Order: sequence, then structure tokens, then C-alpha cells
Amino acid sequence: MTNLIKYLQLSILVFLCFNIELSAKPFESTYEPLPPINLLIQNANIYDGEGNEFQQTDLLIQDRKIIAIGKDLPVSDSFQVIDATGKWITPGIIDIHSHMGVYPAPGVSTSSDGNEATSPVTADVWAEHSMWVQDPQYTLALSGGVTAFHVLPGSANLIGGRGVTVKNLQRNTINSMKFPDAPHSLKMACGENPKRVYGNRQQAPSTRMGNIAGYRKAWIEAESYLNRLNEYESKSEDAKEMGYKPTRDLELDTLAGVLKGEILVHNHCYRADEMASMIDVAKEFGYKITAFHHGVEAYKIADLLADNGICGALWADWWGFKHEAYDMVQANIAIVDQARNGTGCAIVHSDDAIGIQHLNQEASKALAAGLRAGFEITKARAMNWITSNPAKAAGIYDQTGSLKVGKNADVVIWSKNPFSVYALAETVFIDGALAYDRATNFYPSSDFDVGIIKPSKNRTE
Amino acid sequence: MFNKKIHQYITAIFGYALITLSTTVFAETILIKNATIYDGNTNKPYEGNVLIDGKIIKKVSPNDMQGDFIIDASGKIVTPGFIATDTNIGIVEIGALSVTRDDSSEIYKIGFSIYDAFNPNSTLIPWNRSNGITSALTIPQNTASPIGGLGSFFVLDGELDITGEKDMVMTGRVGGSSNHSRSETYAVIDDLLSFAKSLNQKDLSKDADISEVIDNSTIAEFMELHPRDVRALFKLLNNDLPLVMKAHRASDLLKLVEIKKKYNLNLIIMGAQEANLVKDVIAKNDIPLIINPINNIPGSFDELASNIKMAGMLEKADIELMFTAPRSHNFHLIRQGAGVAVANGMSYETAIRGLSATPAKVFGLEKRGEIKQGNFADIIIWDADPLEPSSMPEYVFINGQSIDLTTRSSRLRDRYTSDPEKPNTYRN
Repeated sequence: MTNLIKYLQLSILVFLCFNIELSAKPFESTYEPLPPINLLIQNANIYDGEGNEFQQTDLLIQDRKIIAIGKDLPVSDSFQVIDATGKWITPGIIDIHSHMGVYPAPGVSTSSDGNEATSPVTADVWAEHSMWVQDPQYTLALSGGVTAFHVLPGSANLIGGRGVTVKNLQRNTINSMKFPDAPHSLKMACGENPKRVYGNRQQAPSTRMGNIAGYRKAWIEAESYLNRLNEYESKSEDAKEMGYKPTRDLELDTLAGVLKGEILVHNHCYRADEMASMIDVAKEFGYKITAFHHGVEAYKIADLLADNGICGALWADWWGFKHEAYDMVQANIAIVDQARNGTGCAIVHSDDAIGIQHLNQEASKALAAGLRAGFEITKARAMNWITSNPAKAAGIYDQTGSLKVGKNADVVIWSKNPFSVYALAETVFIDGALAYDRATNFYPSSDFDVGIIKPSKNRTE
Repeated sequence: MFNKKIHQYITAIFGYALITLSTTVFAETILIKNATIYDGNTNKPYEGNVLIDGKIIKKVSPNDMQGDFIIDASGKIVTPGFIATDTNIGIVEIGALSVTRDDSSEIYKIGFSIYDAFNPNSTLIPWNRSNGITSALTIPQNTASPIGGLGSFFVLDGELDITGEKDMVMTGRVGGSSNHSRSETYAVIDDLLSFAKSLNQKDLSKDADISEVIDNSTIAEFMELHPRDVRALFKLLNNDLPLVMKAHRASDLLKLVEIKKKYNLNLIIMGAQEANLVKDVIAKNDIPLIINPINNIPGSFDELASNIKMAGMLEKADIELMFTAPRSHNFHLIRQGAGVAVANGMSYETAIRGLSATPAKVFGLEKRGEIKQGNFADIIIWDADPLEPSSMPEYVFINGQSIDLTTRSSRLRDRYTSDPEKPNTYRN
């Protein structure tokens, strides 16, 4: 009898432990890549996403990885061969700011799920739980060479919730699109949006100073929560049994995850003075801001961003839709990139389902503006703005974002130099598998596209 | 910075008059030499020279000419100044700040004119101009009537003494709505146009007479029309005013064709994301389209057939095409849209024409949109291919005047990339 009780106790303990383990990592990625092909791409011009350009060079893909880049790589029977003479190869394009899925097409109220605008701090919500997997926009982004993208909640809230990085391979559950081992992000927002949304309801925040107070209050709670958790965890096993484990709080779990460095902060912020204030908030509570998003005024504090290791995720030319977006400078991205002797981190982002299809063109505009401003920047370096830099900001650079030997074979073959408007992504590989091929009309389509105009055809046929 | 220097150079040689004053009394001519000219009409490009005399293009020729001031444009593409259709340039400064928007009316439904609100000092003008837009068809946003709101044409020279043409298009829109059926919209349009057809010039001279006409019309009374609205309706039918209707769904496009035929309208359709489904009917009825070729998003249930290849397909059906972009602040991105259209099947020449000669022809913009003898000298010399969004103009001429390409944006850029030793607020 005693043994049985002990057994039961043990089982319960094991069950509890297991349960805790489970609840610590819910919603894990179940991503499975498409069937791999071993491939030799010959005689291509390559931007490798590390700032290098190689002319007439070969690229070898085997077992889902890039295994070699070089001239005249040996041909073997076990590899398919593509002659890419005159064509260009880049890493898969990555967008660090997308709302695909949470604001899907068609834009109707029933699937407009990007802003939980019911409270200024909603760190408990996760963008992945809003994402509609049948959004027809993913495949359009794939036709622009996008192999991974980071989806954020909207900017109505001071702290809007967790963002998620996904592979651009449309599937029918979100977990099967989630990028394996990618960290979560936390969306924060400065400026006009939160103060307008809540100010209009006669509640805080209604001013920019109300915004800052709102973040600080949330972080104070998070600090206290983390202290309670740490205090509990530091106890002996006996003491743990005697005491109570602090009740989990979804909101504070997320914020504590930031303070522990596990969740990356992506901060929507346009004005230079507000970005500077946000850096102070981050320092006060000991967290790091990974990237400021939109940052129309980033050029005004480019050195400050470089000094703090913060990326600017920016548009090439958007402006004027709001007062805080009035001071647009087309060289913004180049200025951020070149800050402190080229140690800045610049990213071209889209925030737009059309823009995401043409990030190469957006980078081209930003590069041209940088050259006109007198900077010396190569196309190979500008390619980093839409590949390795967003990969770093999404926390997936160890896996993708550049054509380094050993990395995932996320590769785009372009018809022409990708800095031209006439360049089309012809073939896209994700994890060494063919995901898109323009010539053979091979691409995924969402269920939404099926038979929706003519029953026997897909949407764009 | 480079552009500014050239401008200063021209200014130094010719004096300030060239830049700021009407050049009718100005004797010197400008010769653009050895350019690759896309003149805006159907022809292929040719190597040639353009002679500007005052406001006017005096001569375009492959043969050598004499000019007082010569610009060597060897290897450069020269095009007409591009024309923005369907824009808010001049009537909106900051999108989300209603106090800076002059694009709507609560009183007038059909005869609402934006002309008097136009601000030649808007920052949108130098920015779009420095990117190749030299004139604009500025239109209001939705009014309470499905047809209504008058757009005007403006030359973007930035002069407070406005050059333009007042109230030269009417706008309208049909499509999905959360609060009424489009069938209701068509009934209202039919009733309004039927009312318009019943109007006589003699009833419209005095406001009191118009009020009586309104009282005797169910639709006019129900819509609470004002005399301005009634005059605008009369003008629509009797002056062959272009009617720019925004619509997308294939069935709506066909319905608009029927309305065009019934009332003999000068119809232009804007948006038309599903035009490729009914392209033959649109072509047969000579309806020009204003499209955003980069938009392949099925953004609403009216736009399900959105397709990146649409521009090329419509071109092959012989439909006249012009371009729009969603944001007036960067309306010049119609160049990028046109470039994407070319990448996906449209011909380069048709794309250039859609930015220049086509809107001039469709909207009757006299002596604009083409580089030809006698036209106003709205001319761009490009640093590279104008359909590459990375390209920019090296010179912009509007009515023969060389435009200073400085913008607030270029000033801010210079302020943060020069004189770093000075505190930033003490720079330039």
C-alpha cells in the first residue's frame, strides 16, 4: 500500500514535471521540408548575403544544405545540374516585418486579426494564433524570392504580443510553418498609434509621455514576476514542495522571456527622439532592442543605433501618411548601414503584401539613394539588407540568411541582376527543396485560391 | 546635390528669370542634344535633339540644331514629364492629419471641387517632381454620391499663380459595401444620370431655377443636391466631362459599360483589378483604364482576379492603359509599377506612353504628355532607365523652366550627412 502511494506520488510528480516541461514549450514547430534534391547550379553570378559577389561561380546543394561555392565544381551523377549562365543567385529573401496571415487577403473584418486593441499591454497574445494559414499572399511573396518572414502583431498597443518567424511554405497548420528553433519576438510600439487608439477612448496612454509610463509599468511588473520565479527556482527541492510555485501569467511570461534574453524585442518607432527614449527604457530594465521598425527618422540617430547594436528595419521611401513619418530621407537605410564606419545594421522591410514581393527593388532604391548621398556601398553589401541582416534580427542567422557552407539551402535564382526592376525570381529552393519554379508554374496555392472565380480553375489562372 | 549644381549653373548663365519667371520674353533657347528620346507616342525611341524656346518645344529632330544653352544628353533617356492621374497631390499634406486634408466635403456630393484647395507649396510637389512627375490630375476622395467629386489638372511648377484646368473630370465609385447593395448604387447612378439628361441649359442660369428643378426631382431632392451638384451633372453629360469610376469586380466593369452606352459617357475606369476577365468588352467599348500594375493582391472580394500579368494582357487586348499608385506622397512610384508591368509582359513603349501621352490624350490635356513641336516643354532627362525605381531625373523642365530638384528630403539628408562636427540643429 505504501509502495503504491509512493508510486502514485512519483507518477504525479513525473506527470507534473512532464506537464511543466510541456507547458514551457507549447506550439512547437512541426515543420517538415519538401523532398530534397541534390543540385549543382553552374556558372551563376552570386550575391552571398555576406557582402560578397562572385561571378560565374557554381553552388552545390546536398542533403538540404549548401555544401560548396566555387568555380568549376565537379559534376557527378548524383546531382541535378542547372545552367545559370547570365543569371543571379541570392540567399532566400527574408522580411522582418510582415502582417501576412494576421491581416490576410481579402482584407475583411472577419480575419483582421493583427491588433488585440483591447488593452495597451497585451504581451500574452501570440501572432501565430491569429495567422490564417490559407492567406493567398504567402505564395505571392514566394514568387518574389521570400523564403522566410517574421509576422508581428500590429502597432495599436504599447506592447502588442509575440511575433513569429515562419518558413514561406504554405501548410494547413501554423505549427507546420513555424521556423524550427526561431526565437519569439515581442512587438512594442511607440508614438501615434497607441496614444491615438487609447486616447480616443479616454484612457491611458493618450500622450507620448503616457506611452513611456506604460512601458515602464509593464517592465516593473515583469521584473517582479521574474524575481518571484527566480526566488522559487533557487529554493531547495524540499522548500519548493512546501511552498507555492508562482502562478503562471501569460503576459508576464512573455515579458520575463525578454528580460531573460530569450525573446527578441522588435520596436515600431518612427521618431528619432522616441527611439532614443526607448533605448533608455531598455537600459533601465536590462533588455536589448533587436530592431526599431519603420524608423523614418533613424538617420538622425544612426550612430546611437550602431553603438547599441540595434538594427533599423526600414522602408526605402514611405512617408507622409502620418506626422511621425514626415521627415523621410531616401538614404535612411544607407545612413544606418554606414554608421560608425559601416558597423550599423540596416534592414529593408516591407510591412506590406505588395512590398514583400519586391524587396529586391526596395533595396535597389535604398542603395541608389545611398550612392547619391556619397556613400560607397556595393550591391553585394546592399543584398545583406534583405537577407543576412533580417536573419540576424529574427534569430535565424545560424540557419539561413546567407550562402555559407553548412547553412540551409534557401536559394533564389533570378533571371537578371536582382537590383533591376526587370529581374524575376525564377526558381526558389527552401531547405534544398524546390518550392517555386516560374517556368513550370510550380508553386503552392492556398485553399482560398481554389475554384473561387471559375470552379474548374484556380484564382489567377 | 549634383542636380542642384547644374541648376545653379543654368541660373548663373541665364539669370534667375529662367527659373522663376515666365519665359515668354526670354530669348535664349535650350538644346537637349544627342538624347535617346521616348517622345511618349507610339514610336520606338530615337536618337535626337530637342530645342526648347520659352515654354514650348520649338523643334524635335534627329538633325543637329543650334541652341543658346546646350545640354549633352548622350546616352541618356529623355521622356515627357510624367502625368499623375488619380492623385491627392496638392490637397493632402499628412495622410492621418485631417487638418491637412482638403479632399472631402460634407455639403456637396457631385459638384464638390478641390480646385480652390490646391496648395502649390505642398512638400509632395517637389518630391514627386524630383522623381519625374510634372503634372497631376488631383481628385477628391469619396463623396456621399456614387458619382460625384470634381478633379482638376495642375502643372506642378510650384507657382502660387496656378497653371491648371479647373474641374475637368468627375469621379465616382461602385463596389462592395458593408451597408448597402451595389444594386442600390446602380439605381442611384441611373436615377442621377436620368435626371442629368432631363436638364436644360436655360434652367441652370439662376440658383432659384435650379432649386425648383431639384424640388421636382425625386432623386435630386432625396440626395439633397445643391445647385453646384446639378450644374456639375449637366456638365458631365453636355461637356463630355471624363468620368473616372473606381471599380474592380468583373460584373461591375460590365455594368459600367452598359451605363456608358446608355448615357454616352466619356468613361474611364480606375482600379479595374478584374479587367482581364472582361478585357474584350472593355476594348470594344474603348474604355481606358487606370491600373496599379504592381497590385496583385486579392485585397477584397471585388479583386479576386488580381494578377501581376494583367497589364500585359490588357495591352494585348488593345486597351489604353494609365497607371496609379496607392499613395500620393510617392505617386512617382507609378514608374516602379510600370517597370513591374514590363517585367511581367507589357511592352516598354506602352508603359512609357501610359505615364505620359495616354493620360494627356484621354483627359484632353492640351500640348502635354508628348515631346513634339509646339507642346509645352515638360521634359525629363533621366540618369538611367526611368522604369527602374532606382533612377532619378537629372533635369526636369516644366513649361520650359529648369526645375531646382532640391526637396525637403534632400535638405534633411544633407543636414545629417555633412558638417558632423556641428550640433545637428546648427547645420545648413
